[in-house]
Amino acid sequence: MHQYIFLVTLLLGWGGLTAQTLTVSGTITDASSGESLIGASVIVIKSETSGTMSGTITDFDGLFSLESVPTGSVLRFSYTGYESLERPVTSSGVMDIAMRGDVQALQEVVVIGYGTQQKRNVTGAVATVDSETIDDLRPVKIEQALQGTIAGVNVTTQSGAPGAGLNIRIRGVSTNGQNAPLVIIDGYQGDLSTINPTDIETITVLKDAQAAVYGTVGANGVILVTTKTGKKNSPTKVSYNTFYGTQETSRKLNMLNATEYGLLLNESYAAGGQSLPFPDASGLGVGTNWQDEVFGTAPMSSHDITVSGGSDRTTYSISGSTLTQDGIIGGEKSNFQRNTARLSLGVDLAENLKLTTNVIFTNIDRDALAENGLGAVLFNALNAPPTLPLLDENGDFSLVPNTPGLGIEVINPAAQIFNTFNDYDLNKLNGQFSLDWKALPGLTLTSRVGFNTSNSEGRTFAKQISYGGKVFDIPRSSVSQNGINDNNYSLDLFGTYQKTLAEQHNFTVTAGTTLFRELGNGLFATGFDVPNNDWEFADISLANGTSPEGVRDVGSYAYDERRLSYFSRVQYNFSERYFLTAMLRRDASTKFGPENRSALFPSFTAGWIASDEAFFGDGGLMDLLKFRISYGILGNDQIINNGYIGTLSGEAAYVFDGSLVNGTAIGALPNPSLQWEEAKKFNVGLDLSFLDYKLNVTADYFINTRDNLLISNIPVSGIVGTTAPGSAAPTVNAGAVRNQGLEVAISYQQRFNKDLKLNVSYNFTTLDNEVLAVNNGTGFIEGGAFGVGQLAPSRMEVGLPIGYFYGYQTDGIFQNASEIEAHPSQIALGANAQPGDLRFVDVNGDGVIDPNDRTNLGDPIANMTMGLNFQVKYKRFDFLTYAFASLGGDIVRNYERALSDVNRLDYYLSRWTGEGTSNEVPRTTTAATANGVFSDFFVEEATFLRLQTVQLGYTLPFKVGPDRKSSLRLYVSGNNLLTLSDYQGFDPGASSGAPIGGGIDYGFYPIARTFLFGANLSL
Amino acid sequence: MSQKYILLTLVLFLMGASACEDDFIGRTPVYSIDSENYFNAEADYENALIAAYDMLQSSYLNVMLGEIASDNTLAGGESATDVIGIQQVDDMIHTPVNEQLKSIWSWMFAGVNRASYLLEYKDKTEFDGKAQIIAEARFLRAYYNFELVKWFGPIPIKGDERFALGDETSLPRASQTEVYASIESDLTQAIADLAVAAPQVGRVSRGAAQALLGKAYLYQEKYEQAATVLSEVIQAGNFSVSNDFAGIFEITGENGPGAVFEVQYTDAEGAGFGCLQCSEGNVAVGFNGIRNHTGPVYDSGFSFNVPTQNAFEAYEPGDQRRDVAILDIDAWAAETGASFGVGFEHTGYYNRKYIARKGDSNIGDQNLTNPNNYRSIRYADVLLMAAEALNAAGSDEQARDYLNQIRRRAFGDEDHDISASGNALADFIQVERRLELMGEGHRFFDLVRKGAAAGAIEGFITGKHELFPIPFEEIQFSGGNWSQNPGY
Repeated sequence: MHQYIFLVTLLLGWGGLTAQTLTVSGTITDASSGESLIGASVIVIKSETSGTMSGTITDFDGLFSLESVPTGSVLRFSYTGYESLERPVTSSGVMDIAMRGDVQALQEVVVIGYGTQQKRNVTGAVATVDSETIDDLRPVKIEQALQGTIAGVNVTTQSGAPGAGLNIRIRGVSTNGQNAPLVIIDGYQGDLSTINPTDIETITVLKDAQAAVYGTVGANGVILVTTKTGKKNSPTKVSYNTFYGTQETSRKLNMLNATEYGLLLNESYAAGGQSLPFPDASGLGVGTNWQDEVFGTAPMSSHDITVSGGSDRTTYSISGSTLTQDGIIGGEKSNFQRNTARLSLGVDLAENLKLTTNVIFTNIDRDALAENGLGAVLFNALNAPPTLPLLDENGDFSLVPNTPGLGIEVINPAAQIFNTFNDYDLNKLNGQFSLDWKALPGLTLTSRVGFNTSNSEGRTFAKQISYGGKVFDIPRSSVSQNGINDNNYSLDLFGTYQKTLAEQHNFTVTAGTTLFRELGNGLFATGFDVPNNDWEFADISLANGTSPEGVRDVGSYAYDERRLSYFSRVQYNFSERYFLTAMLRRDASTKFGPENRSALFPSFTAGWIASDEAFFGDGGLMDLLKFRISYGILGNDQIINNGYIGTLSGEAAYVFDGSLVNGTAIGALPNPSLQWEEAKKFNVGLDLSFLDYKLNVTADYFINTRDNLLISNIPVSGIVGTTAPGSAAPTVNAGAVRNQGLEVAISYQQRFNKDLKLNVSYNFTTLDNEVLAVNNGTGFIEGGAFGVGQLAPSRMEVGLPIGYFYGYQTDGIFQNASEIEAHPSQIALGANAQPGDLRFVDVNGDGVIDPNDRTNLGDPIANMTMGLNFQVKYKRFDFLTYAFASLGGDIVRNYERALSDVNRLDYYLSRWTGEGTSNEVPRTTTAATANGVFSDFFVEEATFLRLQTVQLGYTLPFKVGPDRKSSLRLYVSGNNLLTLSDYQGFDPGASSGAPIGGGIDYGFYPIARTFLFGANLSL
Repeated sequence: MSQKYILLTLVLFLMGASACEDDFIGRTPVYSIDSENYFNAEADYENALIAAYDMLQSSYLNVMLGEIASDNTLAGGESATDVIGIQQVDDMIHTPVNEQLKSIWSWMFAGVNRASYLLEYKDKTEFDGKAQIIAEARFLRAYYNFELVKWFGPIPIKGDERFALGDETSLPRASQTEVYASIESDLTQAIADLAVAAPQVGRVSRGAAQALLGKAYLYQEKYEQAATVLSEVIQAGNFSVSNDFAGIFEITGENGPGAVFEVQYTDAEGAGFGCLQCSEGNVAVGFNGIRNHTGPVYDSGFSFNVPTQNAFEAYEPGDQRRDVAILDIDAWAAETGASFGVGFEHTGYYNRKYIARKGDSNIGDQNLTNPNNYRSIRYADVLLMAAEALNAAGSDEQARDYLNQIRRRAFGDEDHDISASGNALADFIQVERRLELMGEGHRFFDLVRKGAAAGAIEGFITGKHELFPIPFEEIQFSGGNWSQNPGY
């Protein structure tokens, strides 16, 4: 795909008609392969005195022809990925040009925060994803384009539901707090989750101390997004993209059918000494497959159109898009819609004064079903008995019986979908205005205003409903609504001064200031007794009922947070061979206590292009060898607001005279010395290019140490009263975490001939995470949840990976009574063992199995992630595939309700049924056992390989105008076609993203397998 | 424009920006009240007092777990691993790692701190009626400290000031004598200022403070003082023994003539498992409720805290209290056609005083929002405590009189009056306490203070289980300042 192929038409007037002209024609080829280049541009330059300026592009055979070219003109030949050439017009008018390929990549300019830099000169760990990759992947949300495409960046899904959030982690989990990277869109702080992917030109990821120019907000890495703009002097270009697709679940779990279930229940009731629930299981058949009842195929479709172009003083790009996606569970009940409109303008107000502005409007409409854990649709689908029909004899949804064996939390999942009603609407406007003033030679002053303003409305209808004595019964209908305003703005003022001394000493100095303020509020209310118990009437204006006296059915919050920063950066290089950059940023932020209001963040990066040294010689195998090193200190300020002052934000409610009364109580305890987290980032790397830049290797080794971790609600002694309603322990700088790892990215591109082009890239990242300090007195912090009423399963503890799983280790199954006799008592876990029960290891060797025997059972952090991307183009066909793999993480199976009568996964078919039958899966019984406590029985490997995208396209020639390169490409694409994993759950790659408590699968909504048919039209 | 001017403009701009940094960053937080700049008006004191009362609702766990620890009930629940901390206390195999004990410790201290917050600022603003508010705060602090000393023995004590972070490493665990001295001091001061009749239903009366003081004396075996103060409650005549024993435990019987002090609950507001202490309902009631019950009168629940056969059989024939305190679920099902489920450690009995009733709003999560008040100090308890104190102090006749008031209500006649004296009377009084207060969370502590726990509770180790362990984390936080209770 040739995104940057465009036609330039310079119209400088109609004078000079008398000048002598001729027709120039020729062929443009690749210098190394000799193959023709399609769509290379040819422009006539240096002809001020002459008449019509013109240009063209080569056709499918690499041929071009330009009429009326004045003699003596110079032609410029350019092509993406090739070195541009300028040649005077020959008298014969025949010009066959051979272009040298693929050095352009290094002349590419990358944004690095408050400025840009040639890629060749970059000395930090910086990676980019360009619009071609985004076009290839066709992500619904832009975060998906970062998965597997950039080493060191890991993206996990929270859910496969349309519009669900994704978590981006750059170089691992560094804090128990907020790990999300900073996102800068065209210079202002933004948000990836709402943006339309086709509006993005490039995404740049700053992974190391290069991000230090962002100081106290840069510790988690920085993602810089550049949106599309028009190009000067280019005719109007229209591109239209559309796809239509269907989605289905990428996985269904193997559950027991009704007969298997009936027999299993009979066995467990018999083992518990109870009468058989299914004395005759012969007629049960396969029963209801609840997964089939909730999963369906769901449509999705997208349209977007972009019009761009420019004159000699202005550029413009206007786009609009609409996307609608139903859920694979619940269809339109989990629908996601996104509409966007964008305007980008660039105007040269004067020769040295340039205004650029862009504005994006986004509208999102999302409906959602309950997910993750007790009460989730999928949880119910996995636990509802297969012997229960979908509908009862009256045609109503059947009720899951209210029995101890089925608990009071499992309900008919189809009924649950039917009775779920909610709506979320977001309207957002974000954009920026900036003015670049070339005040003096070499000095550019930039001022910029960036803003985000968003309004969202949420509405949830709780229909009056009875599931027959379950906790989801709602005796009184209500509608809860909220309105939230979030706004922020940033003002940047900075100058960049470039100077070259003695032709070899190149300096670029950047200095400036940024002011950032975010403010907003939220308002919540609930009304009761919705008319007709109907979603159509679910609005507070119609719901007349109120809460009983004293209960607040309204709530609100407001915030106003500010940051003032100064930064400076000096970039120096000698002969573009030795590089040194030093950065310093000072931040003052309302997030921090008066004792530590401001902070300084220094960093440096250095590089050496060894391949430019004389001793390397010319024409060697190696085209580029660059060494890089960086070190810097960055901050993280993403914590609760006002954590340094004590406020009366606690909850105080009691009953006087039979009515609820509300008072005031202390909220979270303050920490006046609250300060930023300190990220010390060290990186060494090298860039290597061989074979005429066809083979490129980038390798980085990093050590990131996060000190002064801001631990919110740090566990403290109970005597200070922090467990009171609405109270919390202070946020304290009390921990340290280190991530180290190796990133390697290899890419190879080869144009074999005119018809065949190959592009392969592979990257991998290793990650070693270790908690270095938890200074809260106990040395650990707990989190997560497993089962019902069990001890916390996840911990952050010194010497171990953050969020590791903490529980009992098992050692097979007790086969007989004598084995039990010989083993320490397990009574402290709830019940004495019987043959067929799990045998727990006496880790501390004290002769009893008790909570002190809990130990490390693994962690959710993958030791290695890798991406493999393969593209081949043959004639008019193109084929690409993207794959991603994650190795060495663990995941906890926590979607099985530990009750006797719920349905089970089919691994129970290989359960212990007598001595020697199984050493892995315990017996089933209704009697008390300790088999359900959190142990390694529930921890599985999360290693997986996923085929993310496979796409086949065909480009049709589609001539519209005489000079235009227009095309129509049709493609079919399959996403998430295949996931190879031993994990028994839906999605080994899903995670809540919680640093402590992540990797626990509460029944994640699986990602959808999608089949798309799409078209890209370019005019 | 020359280079000089441009640079000058830049420098001026940067200077200007830094000058306003303090203004820009030093903003006051929007819509918040500084906790250290409060208590400027009467309303502030009233609001802070509500916060101090609020923590009473979290004491549902003390009541429930206290009963389960005794010989009256078993843990029950869904399975052997359902709330492991409760199961372990039932079996007397609890260790310092126990979520529920940790909750009791931290929730009761939260109550102490909320009361102390008000007391810390007791002199800041003057207004009429302040003495009453201060007195209520003192009562509440004494109430929370009494719970803490019952459960954990020695605890840190800090006077009219909140605990601050770091106190755990410097304040010692005050001896039980010192803790009781503090409780007595708070209650004595409170009694002087409290109105005889509470200003609102749910607030503390003078009689309630006297009753709690009497109880504190009794736990210290200060029988003379206990007898004196408890007799004052009785002689003041503000409370009476209602004839309708069953009615006491229904919604309509709340805050009745025999209610000396009740922890107030309501079904008005929803709650979730994420913050049980935040519920305005009585969480224990849903936990105690009948598993999968479908039928009249009762809502279902989680079948915790199920009475033992021994408890059921402890009642003599004709004692009307048995069927009020204990629901025989099989008989109930046979009588009404109700169905129910069988949970872990199913005994066939339910703690009828505190199981979920129909008729409340069932707002979600309906198991956490039951409105049943906890009858914390009943007049019957006061009479029995007075009887115990008087008996110990040698006034058997008065003691018998109080005891028999209770028995006559139980049996509806005078044929079951006790005529014993001395130690025999003392034994009768303890038996009566069990029968009268069955299911109300007193039994374990009565057994312990009478030295009778080892004989009654399976697994109870004398010298260890009288006190519960300090939470494991607290010992860690204290950095060696506190040592664990003996035996743990």
